[in-house]
Amino acid sequence: MMLSYLKGSIAITASLLALSCGAALAETPSWCGPNEASLALLDGFGGNSWRLVTTASGAAEAALCPSITDYQYADGQGNTQKAISDIKSFAAKGTSAIVVFGDAGPAVLPALKAAFAAGSVVVPYRVDVGGEAGKDYTKFIGSSFKDDGVSWGNWIKGILPDGGNVLFLSGPAGNSQGLDELAGMKTVLDDKYKFINPEPFDVTNWDPSLTQQVLSAEIAKNEKIDVIVSDFGPSLVGALPVFKKFNRSIPAIATSDGNSLGCFWTDNVKDNPDFKLFTVATGNDNVRLAEQWAVASATGGTLPTEEIFKAPVFEDSVSGKQSAVQCRADLPGSIYLSAVMPGDDQAKAVTK
Amino acid sequence: MTAQPHRRPRQVSRFALAKGFVTVVISTIVLIGLCLTFAPSSVAAGALAGSLPFAAILMIVGLGQMLVVQQGGFDLSVAGGVSLSVVLATHYPSGDDAQLLPAVLIAYTCAVAAGVVNGLLVGFVRLNAIVATIGMNALIYGVVFAVSGGVPRITTDLLAQVAGGESFGVGNAVWFAIAILAVTVFAMKKTIWGRRFEAIGANPLAAAAIGLNVRRHQMMAYVLAQLFYCSAGLLIAGITTQPTAFQGDSLLLPSVAVVVLGGTSLLGGRGFPISTAIAALFLNQLSQFAFAVGVPYSAQTIIQALALGLGIGIYSIHMPSFFGKINKLSNREEEDDAILS
Repeated sequence: MMLSYLKGSIAITASLLALSCGAALAETPSWCGPNEASLALLDGFGGNSWRLVTTASGAAEAALCPSITDYQYADGQGNTQKAISDIKSFAAKGTSAIVVFGDAGPAVLPALKAAFAAGSVVVPYRVDVGGEAGKDYTKFIGSSFKDDGVSWGNWIKGILPDGGNVLFLSGPAGNSQGLDELAGMKTVLDDKYKFINPEPFDVTNWDPSLTQQVLSAEIAKNEKIDVIVSDFGPSLVGALPVFKKFNRSIPAIATSDGNSLGCFWTDNVKDNPDFKLFTVATGNDNVRLAEQWAVASATGGTLPTEEIFKAPVFEDSVSGKQSAVQCRADLPGSIYLSAVMPGDDQAKAVTK
Repeated sequence: MTAQPHRRPRQVSRFALAKGFVTVVISTIVLIGLCLTFAPSSVAAGALAGSLPFAAILMIVGLGQMLVVQQGGFDLSVAGGVSLSVVLATHYPSGDDAQLLPAVLIAYTCAVAAGVVNGLLVGFVRLNAIVATIGMNALIYGVVFAVSGGVPRITTDLLAQVAGGESFGVGNAVWFAIAILAVTVFAMKKTIWGRRFEAIGANPLAAAAIGLNVRRHQMMAYVLAQLFYCSAGLLIAGITTQPTAFQGDSLLLPSVAVVVLGGTSLLGGRGFPISTAIAALFLNQLSQFAFAVGVPYSAQTIIQALALGLGIGIYSIHMPSFFGKINKLSNREEEDDAILS
């Protein structure tokens, strides 16, 4: 009697276990393999809202895979030596997979090589660190800035079919992101479109106060600006009211998204008849693809098919095809509604 | 014999005043002339409305640095001081206007605390000013990180209106800067405290000998400087909608530059607030000129560096002693010739 009771309970427990395992398996993504692994996300610089949302997205993505037993994050604080020592110390600890935002570029390559040689899966992403995949690190998951340029170019062609004056603002002098975006735009825009900024772009260091100074000088200098292209949309918000001082309408803007920019457009579109807005996703989800590659390699999961993160078109005030301009006035301006992570969760990440 | 040593320093100081003020005014007029000829857009009303608030910020920071330089010191905690007030004024209220006043008070309290520590270290412990303030800068940045995590937050509407708004067609930041300049000039030139402050900067030993409290005045220079940086930070927080947590970094070098261009000696002594303010306008207009001409970024930085080098060069050649030396040399040659013949 006792035995049969035991047998029965074992059977029930087993079937319950099987059910729960089945449910868990159904939710487990294909890139999450069966082997247990530890994962570290190493940032070169974690000090802005974009990075906070990205970091939170990275943690959320890692949590989807139950095989990840340990998840760590380290911030290089913009200090190349700290970034290098972070990579080395996580490799020395035997972390199975390391995802690196190599802000310092090729300067972190030797550390990545050492970590790869020590047996860790190493996936640098977004910033090109040089080296060779398979030899110096496992895989580089870049972002296609050139595609962003192409998207902007196509939109500009659509709203200004007869050509016009384009003002392009990017970050620090000579940054590769800006150069790639320009190359992308130039594949679409011919000579009818005149770039009125100094070659290759106006330097803003992605600093809102410098952006403001540069933009007011450009507005004063150029009577006709048909479209402004910038790869950091939210940094324009402080500068755009300058147009009002010249009694001119804010022109069309092709850029990357941000809640503050979306809300600025919503508030100002009525008074500025030429203010059209087109944004590509700022790319917080680049980290998700990089983590998928790292986890798949470390846990024996299926490798993702995508090798480059392509930022999707996010907002288009003209056609509204992809999405109308979005504004969540109840949430902080420094979140990115284009990210997979819901706006409310991002708000928690940036205001904690 | 006794009259000579009295006369000489008076001549030197009168010459320095003329040179500091005249040089910076002439340079600014020449620059405006260049702007009108080659880049008229850089002096258009709209361009000035966009750039003057930044000149105002540099002016305030420069005046703070000037007080410290007058005491023979250097304040490298400019960057930290400005960034901390930016971060406190944006993070603490987090968009809520009602929290702005407490945030501003906290910012000023922190500024006083940082200034007092700087002042104690330099004035009383007699640490080298550069060493003490660079350490303080690191400490302040620690607080900036603790408060913000290095992350910017959007400024409150009220602060944006107060600091970024306009009155009588001119940005409020400019009015704030003019008010601060007026108070500084009055306090420095017309009050007993100001005269003592300059006397102590010129010669601390002599000042101590006549019974002035040198250390307390030196400490006050650092406290006042931090209050100035804090004010500048609050204005930046209002003018730029989403300021970074490191907004003060780009102000360190210009803050020293405007003091030097304004004619205040790096060895301490007499301060030239009005010249310093004009030098801030000059530097700001110089970068606007470079933007407007459309030269590449590398050339922009070179132009600024050259202007700075030339400005400092003018002061480092001390004309009377320069000509004195030449006279002495020629006299000596004549004497040598006489001996030889």
